[in-house]
Amino acid sequence: MEGVVFDIKEFAVFDGPGIRTTVFMKGCPLRCQWCHNPEGLRPEPQLTVSRAACTGCGECLKHCPTPGHCTACGRCVPFCRLGLRRIAGRRMTAEALAEKLLRGRALLEESGGGFTFSGGEPLMQWPFVREVIALLDGVHCAVETSAYAPDAVFREVMDTLDLVMMDVKLTDPEKHRRFTGVDNAPILRHLDMLCAGSTPFIVRMPLIPGVNDETAHFEAVAARVAGAKALQRVEMLPYHKTAGAKYGMVGLEYKPEFDVDRPVRIDTGPFERRKIPVVTL
Amino acid sequence: MTERIRALRALIVERKAHRAFRRETAVDPSPYRRAELKDFERTALRLKTFLEAETPVILPEERIAFLRTLPDIPGIYTDAEWAEITKDHYIHEQGRVCNLSPDYETVIRKGLRAVLGEIDAADAGENRAYYDAMRTSLFAVIAFAARYAEATRAAGREDIARVLDKVPAGPAETFLEALQSLRALHFCMWCEGDYHNTLGRFDRYMLPYYRRDLAAGRITPEEAQELIEEFFLACNRDSDLYTGMQQGDNGQSIVLAGMTPEGEDGYNELTDMCLTTSAELMVIDPKINLRVNGRTPLSLFEKGTRLTRLGLGFPQYENDDVVIPGLMRLGYEERDARNYVVAACWEFIVPGAGMDIPNIGALPFAGVVNRVIREKLGEIRDMDDLKTAVREAIFAEVRRIAAGLKNLYVIPSPYLSVFFEGCVEKGRDIASGCKYNNYGLHGTGLATAADSLAAVEEMVFRRGLAPETLIAAMDADFEGYDELRWQLKNECPKMGNDEDAADGLACFLLDAFADAVEGLKNERGGIFRAGTGSAMYYIWHAADLGATADGRTAAEPLPANYAPALNTRLNGPASLIRSFTKPDLTRVVNGGPLTIEFHDSVFRDGEAVAKVARLVRSFIEGGGHQLQLNTVNRDRMLDAQKHPENYKNLIVRVWGWSGYFVELDKCYQDHIIQRVELTAGA
Repeated sequence: MEGVVFDIKEFAVFDGPGIRTTVFMKGCPLRCQWCHNPEGLRPEPQLTVSRAACTGCGECLKHCPTPGHCTACGRCVPFCRLGLRRIAGRRMTAEALAEKLLRGRALLEESGGGFTFSGGEPLMQWPFVREVIALLDGVHCAVETSAYAPDAVFREVMDTLDLVMMDVKLTDPEKHRRFTGVDNAPILRHLDMLCAGSTPFIVRMPLIPGVNDETAHFEAVAARVAGAKALQRVEMLPYHKTAGAKYGMVGLEYKPEFDVDRPVRIDTGPFERRKIPVVTL
Repeated sequence: MTERIRALRALIVERKAHRAFRRETAVDPSPYRRAELKDFERTALRLKTFLEAETPVILPEERIAFLRTLPDIPGIYTDAEWAEITKDHYIHEQGRVCNLSPDYETVIRKGLRAVLGEIDAADAGENRAYYDAMRTSLFAVIAFAARYAEATRAAGREDIARVLDKVPAGPAETFLEALQSLRALHFCMWCEGDYHNTLGRFDRYMLPYYRRDLAAGRITPEEAQELIEEFFLACNRDSDLYTGMQQGDNGQSIVLAGMTPEGEDGYNELTDMCLTTSAELMVIDPKINLRVNGRTPLSLFEKGTRLTRLGLGFPQYENDDVVIPGLMRLGYEERDARNYVVAACWEFIVPGAGMDIPNIGALPFAGVVNRVIREKLGEIRDMDDLKTAVREAIFAEVRRIAAGLKNLYVIPSPYLSVFFEGCVEKGRDIASGCKYNNYGLHGTGLATAADSLAAVEEMVFRRGLAPETLIAAMDADFEGYDELRWQLKNECPKMGNDEDAADGLACFLLDAFADAVEGLKNERGGIFRAGTGSAMYYIWHAADLGATADGRTAAEPLPANYAPALNTRLNGPASLIRSFTKPDLTRVVNGGPLTIEFHDSVFRDGEAVAKVARLVRSFIEGGGHQLQLNTVNRDRMLDAQKHPENYKNLIVRVWGWSGYFVELDKCYQDHIIQRVELTAGA
């Protein structure tokens, strides 16, 4: 089976325990306004252009077979002298990916680390990810997910992964739809499944100024996860202005509906009061 | 850091107030530049003249004295005399004794008066002039220390005066005396006109004094730490006067931990104190080398990594498991091999026994491979043929280099000679040789060479590209061949990505280099050592190289030292380490590190330090010989904005994620640069 991968990052030191290699799977059903990996949104390979250093020489245009309608064929890529054009997303077989990943296993295992599947939304390519994991010879595997997936998929995820790192963005359904484009009911349902289950998990809370950094949200999440026996810890990820850095590269405009300059409010109190381990990254 | 050290640091490093004592007066060279004097007599007389012209200065708060006030040391030859000498001699670098490690340990322990006794005992008359030069030098140093003692006493610093009454003339007994003796001996080495000679195994030879003081209740660990801090600071006050290729290139390196000559583990409490000192002071001297092996505890790697995090570019790691057997293979005795240190940069040398010249020449890997491809590819049928031709060319080039190294002349240094085995005994100057007289050859552009061969294999022998087309593209510097160039750069295997197709060729090249030097002798009876360093040669070797088959254009530089080609999109540090530990590095132990750069935000928390430490250990366990880690700083990022094509692998931590710096929009690049500036200023 083939999947679409848009990056493999070695020596990831913040994506789970130990030293990890993180695989970024392309495609995401959500459209979070603070997304910092816009090249991971569309499921198919696409052309990216680093516009910061582009001199506008026009050489790339001369080699485009379909001007005005990019098919990500990649013909223009060799002709950029500054090397600013790339195709984000590569089709790989599960075997090829697993073979590549396993070459680095010694260092990962020795440090108590392993592999992390991130994205995009890795569960969008779950049959592929599942096949890769089966080939990874029992090395520790984690997933970074929005948890937006069919229940059956999520159940399999809980049975397969050694660690689930799931985002909890907004508990309010209306706001969730507005800022991420999708319903949060399945997400919260899957959070409850994790809380009731035995798969080790980490709750990650992206904190967005004026969107979800109010006490009610912290309280709601803390109340929901309190007592979950497999919960490792809660991680706060305060919004950073650089989230928009790569939008130009994929031809998108970054226009969030919140005030990017407002400092984020971080309140770990509701977790601490419930004796839930919490860190700010 | 105590208040006293803080004040000294402010004076020396921040305000550079000690430079106010420098005088414009130039030393008059006429007394020692006399035609009737032999070269070694001139050197000895110059040291005497220079030290007599120096003025003792005591900085407020200091306890370890000696400060340069005369910036310039005129040479022993007139320009005309030197031109005459250089006409029929091979001159290495500046022609003076450099890149050695004097045996400070023995001289500190015995004192200079004991050495004078040995000189008298050895002097049977027939070599009187040379022994006199040694005596003149040592008397000059002793007299200079006596003047310092007098001046300190007059300034009411009886504490310093009492130490200088004893050392360096007599044996050091306490930790402070040993440090003051080292400071004086090392200071006078510079005054003799020698340069780039290192401080060696500081934590080893200082240990007995420290332990004795500690046992006698004369010192506490805190007091010892303070003295080490002061000594390290002292290394930074005259260093701008020391010659090198660049400011800071002064050879003041120390080597910590590692196996003792007796085969024991030399890691001790002073190792830790030196690492702590370096981290607290944040000064570039002395440069720290850390000797490790496959059994070194992770905690020592972590201590080293905390230093790396500060962005000074050290420690540099050396692997005993590779270097010691490698040196023994080259003929170094076991005790000497175990005692190796690192020369000014990264070359492995033996303290007190080696007059090796580890950077006397360099094999241009990329140049040799490029020439073979351009001249012979048309008639070559397969990869085996190509490798045979490259191997022959490497052998020929090594022989050509070796043949050019004839009639070496080095200006004698009678003072420095007393720190080397056999020199006093035989009345022989270190400039004429010592126990080991080996020549080291660097190997430049290895990755470019391996990648070029890999590209030919892929494009010509696998995909059927016509050799003429490849050569024509290279001749045109790839103008009009963008697609081919892109394929060469992006679709062919590269050294550094754990791809055997490229890494295997690097192994082949290094083996050929090691084979080529085997059995070669130099005119001093020494052998040739192959290495993975580049020094400044990589700049010179890139100059007339032209475009290479790996898709590199003529204007692109070659990588420095043992590193992947610039502009290679790398998988990451773990693949890099796996690639660079594939060759049998015991065969190329002249020295030359793999360099890895991290953005400082990688080190955001304590856990990351442990992870980087494990990465370092994986290099050592994998059989790497030498490793240097950098924490990327703001200047590089500013340069990356101007030349994005040179910084494809500059990874920056942006939020909870990382990105390639050059791919970020400018406003975000600026943002990160500002943030780093704040981090550095804080």
